[in-house]
Amino acid sequence: MYFVFLPEKADALKTRSGKIISMSMQRPSIKMTSPFCLLFLFVSQLIQPPASAQPSNQPAANVRLSFTNSINNRPLVLDSTTYLNHWNETFTVSRLMYYISNVCLLTTDKKTVREKDSYHLVNEEDSASRSFSMMMPPDQYTSVSFLIGVDSLKNVSGAQARALDPLNGMFWTWNTGYIMFKMEGNSPQSSLTKHKIEYHIGGFAGVNSALRIVQLKFDGPGITITKDKIAEIIIQADLDDVWNAAHPVRIAETPVCMTPGALAAAVADNYVKAFKIMSVVYR
Amino acid sequence: MKIKITILLLALFVSLTSAFISRLAPHKLTYLKLVVPKGWPKPSADVFASNPLTEEGFQLGRKLFYDGRLSRDGKFPCASCHQQFAAFSTFAHDYSHGFNNSFTTRNAPGLFNLAWMKEMHWDGGINHLEVQPLSPLTANNEMAASLPTILKMLNGDSAYVRLFKAAFKDGIISSQHMLKALAQFTGSIQSYNSKYDKVKRGEDTFTMKENAGYRFFLANCNSCHKEPLFTDNSFRNNGLMIDPESKDQGRMGITGNPADLNKFKVPSLRNCTVTLPYMHDGRIFSITRAIEHYRTGIDISQSTLDTLLRKRIAMSNEEKANLYSFLQALKDDVLLNNPRYLEPGYVPPPSVDKH
Repeated sequence: MYFVFLPEKADALKTRSGKIISMSMQRPSIKMTSPFCLLFLFVSQLIQPPASAQPSNQPAANVRLSFTNSINNRPLVLDSTTYLNHWNETFTVSRLMYYISNVCLLTTDKKTVREKDSYHLVNEEDSASRSFSMMMPPDQYTSVSFLIGVDSLKNVSGAQARALDPLNGMFWTWNTGYIMFKMEGNSPQSSLTKHKIEYHIGGFAGVNSALRIVQLKFDGPGITITKDKIAEIIIQADLDDVWNAAHPVRIAETPVCMTPGALAAAVADNYVKAFKIMSVVYR
Repeated sequence: MKIKITILLLALFVSLTSAFISRLAPHKLTYLKLVVPKGWPKPSADVFASNPLTEEGFQLGRKLFYDGRLSRDGKFPCASCHQQFAAFSTFAHDYSHGFNNSFTTRNAPGLFNLAWMKEMHWDGGINHLEVQPLSPLTANNEMAASLPTILKMLNGDSAYVRLFKAAFKDGIISSQHMLKALAQFTGSIQSYNSKYDKVKRGEDTFTMKENAGYRFFLANCNSCHKEPLFTDNSFRNNGLMIDPESKDQGRMGITGNPADLNKFKVPSLRNCTVTLPYMHDGRIFSITRAIEHYRTGIDISQSTLDTLLRKRIAMSNEEKANLYSFLQALKDDVLLNNPRYLEPGYVPPPSVDKH
């Protein structure tokens, strides 16, 4: 398809795909002899970027995972709201980030389908990061599962991009590995400078691995995924579980965790219990 | 008038066509092959598995390696601590210098044959060559930079825009591509042309002293400093007292395992005569004293001391001198003077005084 730039008529000539087309050169004000005209057309054609360089359309989606973070069932508000944990310790949260990876759905006949290249970083500060969409085969599904953190393979395979870019501040530079879950804030019970609390939970190997799988069952017979509707799975993470769901973790005793180890594994055991399905909405 | 328009349009045509050709031309990469000398083990399989070694990637990595702008104040390129004439260690410094007159906490190791190395750092904390630079780039006592600042600088430099385009198909200037390019450069620095290598290839012969030293080496040192790499890449406690100030626990700091207390990576002995000083913190300044440590200096009271060193290493003065001669034969002048590893654009003066 030939196209030339005709600024005055551009709008009228826009096709549905946004390309500007013109079938004929009828404007008397442009005095081009035909060879030049052809030449110009030829060149215009040539400088069209190759098809691969054009941004491809987002693949259609039929499943959407949305995460809502809360504490004691109160919506999480960064910095300004004070919360109370199981041990009556007061705290605020200034930063919350965690990885969700290897998202899978389980069919009624126990088949697992997985999202391709499934790595997502949920960052409380960035609302867009709290939900993400994917295309899954239409079927009846009974449960959804995902990893909180980044699987061990990606921890040992060198420099990564996008959600796994070390630029995101979720990568340890002195002891290779991803920070799977990061919660920072303040608490008067903390003995650290400025009463900080810092839980950087990571470790992908051995007994102290902080990798945790969350598997959540849908209500009743499960959910039906079709081609033309988006099933939004709304998941709540009620994060006061960080301190007590499986092991007692007190701010007064351990306000900070910066290395893989027993404490990190205990905190991971706790927050894995925080994730629950609130509802599934079809859009 | 008509001629002018014709010329103008012709010029337009030529420039547009050339722009088109450069745009549509397939992205060409010149693939390189890592040299695997005869008799060597296979290099670590995943080093270049997802990062094919190319001339374009190598050259980009080389420029990055020598660019001070990767550090916060512009003064500390990778090469400030990794000097070619010292086999890419810091010559004659126990600790290297970093941002704001700070010192590093360990001795900068030489960089060569990294494709055969599974873990980086004295404590093995880094599990892949590609992510190794993140530590010196961001540490406050080293280059003290941040990735966003570095990427902004790279994006604003037309030379880098060109080099990233040449090295990577999508031409994106990302931390991933930067790290992959650096890994291509550092992973290509190879040492396999010392006198020892030439003797093994039948191109040279040892002197009597070197030969006696080699025999002593095989009997007493080779179990850890295993030829041909002259390291088995293991972590061992070689009987140094733990520094009371730094309290450096070595490998235990990574694994958390008390059995790893005071264990450090066995360094390669290749080029050891130019990588002074020695040990993880550079506490021993000369090679003869480093040898002496194994004869008389090992602290045999430590429970995690390597079992092979519990009786220290007995040697006569003559054996010590022979061993020293052999270690000198591990110096690789091809590595130390290889123009491919020089700062891009640097032309050495015609008669370099080579030490």
